Amino acid sequence: MNATSGVLGQTRLELAAAAREARAAWSWTATLWVLAFVGAALVPLVLSTGRMADLAGFVYLALAAVGLGYAVGLAGIPSLGQGAFLGIGAFAEALLRAKAGWPLLPSLVIAVGVTTAAGVLAGLATGRLRSAFVAVSTWILSWIVLLALTSFPRISGGAQGLVLPEATVLGHTLTPTGHYLVGISLVALAILALAVLAPRGPGLALAAGRDEPAAAVGLGVPVARLRLGIFTASATIAGLAGALGVELAQVADPSSYGPILSFELFVAVILGGARLPLGPVVGLAVISGFKHLSEQIGGLRGLPPGRLEEMLTGYGMLLVLGLGGAGLLPAARTWWRSRIPAPRGKRTQAAKGSPHVIEQPVPLEARRVSKHFGSLIALDALDLDLEPGKVHALIGPNGSGKTTALRALVGELEPDGGSVALGQTRLEGPARPRALLGVVGTQQATAVFADLTVLQNALVGAGLRRQHAGPVRTVLRTPKARRDDEVTEGKARAALSLVGLFDPDRPAAELTAHEQRLLMLASALATQPRVLLLDEPAAGASATELDRLAELLDELRDSGLALLVIEHNLRFVRRVADQVTVLEAGRRIASGTLAEVATDENVRAAYLGRQSLS
Amino acid sequence: MSLVVQVIVTGLAAGGVYGLFAVGYSLIYRLTGVVYFAFGDLVAFAVFTTLLVAAGTGPVSQTSLGLGRFVLGLGVGLILCVGVGAATYVLFIEPYLLRGSTLGWVASTLAIAFALRGMVGAVFTRPAYVFPDPFHFEGLGRNGIVTIAGASVQIRSFFVIGLAAGLAALAAWALDRTKRGRALQAIASDPEAARFVGLPVETLVALTFGLVGGLAAIAAVVAAPSAPFTVDSGALLGLKGLVAALIVRFGSPWAAFAAGLGVGLAEAAIDNMGGIGLGPQYGELIPLAFALGVIAYRSLRSEPAPSPA
Repeated sequence: MNATSGVLGQTRLELAAAAREARAAWSWTATLWVLAFVGAALVPLVLSTGRMADLAGFVYLALAAVGLGYAVGLAGIPSLGQGAFLGIGAFAEALLRAKAGWPLLPSLVIAVGVTTAAGVLAGLATGRLRSAFVAVSTWILSWIVLLALTSFPRISGGAQGLVLPEATVLGHTLTPTGHYLVGISLVALAILALAVLAPRGPGLALAAGRDEPAAAVGLGVPVARLRLGIFTASATIAGLAGALGVELAQVADPSSYGPILSFELFVAVILGGARLPLGPVVGLAVISGFKHLSEQIGGLRGLPPGRLEEMLTGYGMLLVLGLGGAGLLPAARTWWRSRIPAPRGKRTQAAKGSPHVIEQPVPLEARRVSKHFGSLIALDALDLDLEPGKVHALIGPNGSGKTTALRALVGELEPDGGSVALGQTRLEGPARPRALLGVVGTQQATAVFADLTVLQNALVGAGLRRQHAGPVRTVLRTPKARRDDEVTEGKARAALSLVGLFDPDRPAAELTAHEQRLLMLASALATQPRVLLLDEPAAGASATELDRLAELLDELRDSGLALLVIEHNLRFVRRVADQVTVLEAGRRIASGTLAEVATDENVRAAYLGRQSLS
Repeated sequence: MSLVVQVIVTGLAAGGVYGLFAVGYSLIYRLTGVVYFAFGDLVAFAVFTTLLVAAGTGPVSQTSLGLGRFVLGLGVGLILCVGVGAATYVLFIEPYLLRGSTLGWVASTLAIAFALRGMVGAVFTRPAYVFPDPFHFEGLGRNGIVTIAGASVQIRSFFVIGLAAGLAALAAWALDRTKRGRALQAIASDPEAARFVGLPVETLVALTFGLVGGLAAIAAVVAAPSAPFTVDSGALLGLKGLVAALIVRFGSPWAAFAAGLGVGLAEAAIDNMGGIGLGPQYGELIPLAFALGVIAYRSLRSEPAPSPA
């Protein structure tokens, strides 16, 4: 009894907290959204039933388009397979209903499940391909579904298609108006879910993987898994739309699914603006407008239906794509914002971040690490020791294997031989498990997530330690996910103030080159590393910026972090490094303090000597 | 035995056309990283332009056409094909390449495909067209058919095979031996360096978009009389060429051409295997599924390194 009331009390508290959050997040845009939805729900009052059926069909297509936006907009996957998934959902539903005589709801569950399974398979098959290949293989998938449906009339009902029995739910007939209301509710939910997901943990991680895959993987983002997940979600939504659409039409026509539908949905997403949840709906509305217009013109000219429509739709698409850029909706938003001065983003106080202290300092030991590319020996049995509270500089001429060494240590490259250990733990495998243990490196090239803000960049790093905030929990805003969000944001802000970036809402693309390097460092720090490997952090820094960076490295050293710095600027190395290792042609030719190394004959010959000559 | 001969001849004749498409897809991909989804429809556009000039939009009989009128038609078709191919590249593909937007060129190449197909379809409104045959193969053998080892095969098939192989050899030769061809190879390996040493990269790439279309169009026009040609035929030919190119990962011209022949042979073989449960309905499906399987296999085996969109 007590336990129950305890749980209830807890639930009440959580609900109150959720309500507070909702109230705080409420804005006039949210009011507009609600009004738009209410307006859409009132449409059946003014339209005839015949029109409602058309409109409901459009809404189900819009649902599939919003679903495609998940894959295209958030993850940048150029999927041309949405028409195939609609077809799979539709025919699974139609077969269960027409041939097996199942009732509506169980068939719907199975049809959506079948599409999800197809989505997982297609996602696994294409997950690691270059995006051009993803486009081709999903395109071929669309053709396969079309050909399979049209070549086997025994299954797909031939030219007449499959005719479904009347749709009833709990004894009520599902009318076109009912379908329409179900449809707009699902579209609203799908848009809401995307709007909730995109600016939070998994959504940011997907955007990071889209903009700079290597950097995202380096921060421990499970890019491949997230991409598979979002692709599957996108297919699932298409399956739902296909199954419901076939219930609405009450006949499944094999020729209406496949490449053309995939193309229309893809163009709808690009046209409307893939990055905004509502973009695909706007794009689809524009396409439908084109088709409608072309039908009218074609009818006047007495042409067979479809042909002129295809041509004008194609032309219209090219025209709008040519003008488009990021899509209609983002363009409209930019125009609107340019008219109304946006409120300046809040600058956070230059307060000192919470002192960064490593709780369990740990050394990293590399022994005889080797790597060759063909006949080129990039690393030749390299030994390297990084100690907690020490800055270790890795220097050497260009092409001596410094970056290769870093990439082998963080798991970006698989070495051909040798071992790496963190304390007593042997380090193996890709970047994510290593990052979870606390070994993180930054990229040599400047690689910030340009479409995200400064704070969001740091959040991608901080997201590594999220425990209860997978995509589903994030969308549902469970209490644990919300607490995780708070904790993550705290870490990200602390990392930003540590490196001295105080404008969290600025787009990362607007930062100077050096600030972008600092932001990369902040994202890496937000993962709470114990060993941090920095590839040329001082590149492009001015004298004052170098001083600040040196102070920052001192501070990090004092916190107990083990640091590796790849650097060309020897004055900077002298200022920050406790230990120096010199590489030449993949071999360690000297190791010790800079003073010791500088007197070494090999080094003078190989590196410093050459410099003093120049 | 007779069935085997028939499968080989019809398979190679169809495969030769697919192979030329595959050569085109591969060349364009290696030059620009673009998969030119409009390729099939560009060729259909050229084929129907040829028909329009040679015989108009009305019904034609196979014998009603003289060689001169046909050559004129083919010439106009090819010139338009090169022009439209180059123009679509400059107007609708290059802008996205400059921005590094994969999503953009995927959308625009598909839109080009539908615009071209719609345009052809708005002029040629009947469901299917019989193409005139300027070479009068029906005058040879028995109505253009010859019997080899018990199999009846169209004499045209041999001509198509020979022509396709000749065109593929021409493409390979031009790439390896001519100045322009070597310039294209330089662009494929490093566009920036090619631009730096003063090659007119944009012009060469734009021309290639048209020329590879022309190459496939010649073969498609010559092969067209063997079966009814519809507005959608080009897209299907293009799709099979794409499948062939994909199987060899957009490889060298000869690899792509060979893959095209392979797809043609497989299709012809499967079409004729009605006895063991296969048949025409599988002829198109199985090569597509095979290509998807090959992609999936390579994807699952490769290192986990997603590339930017």
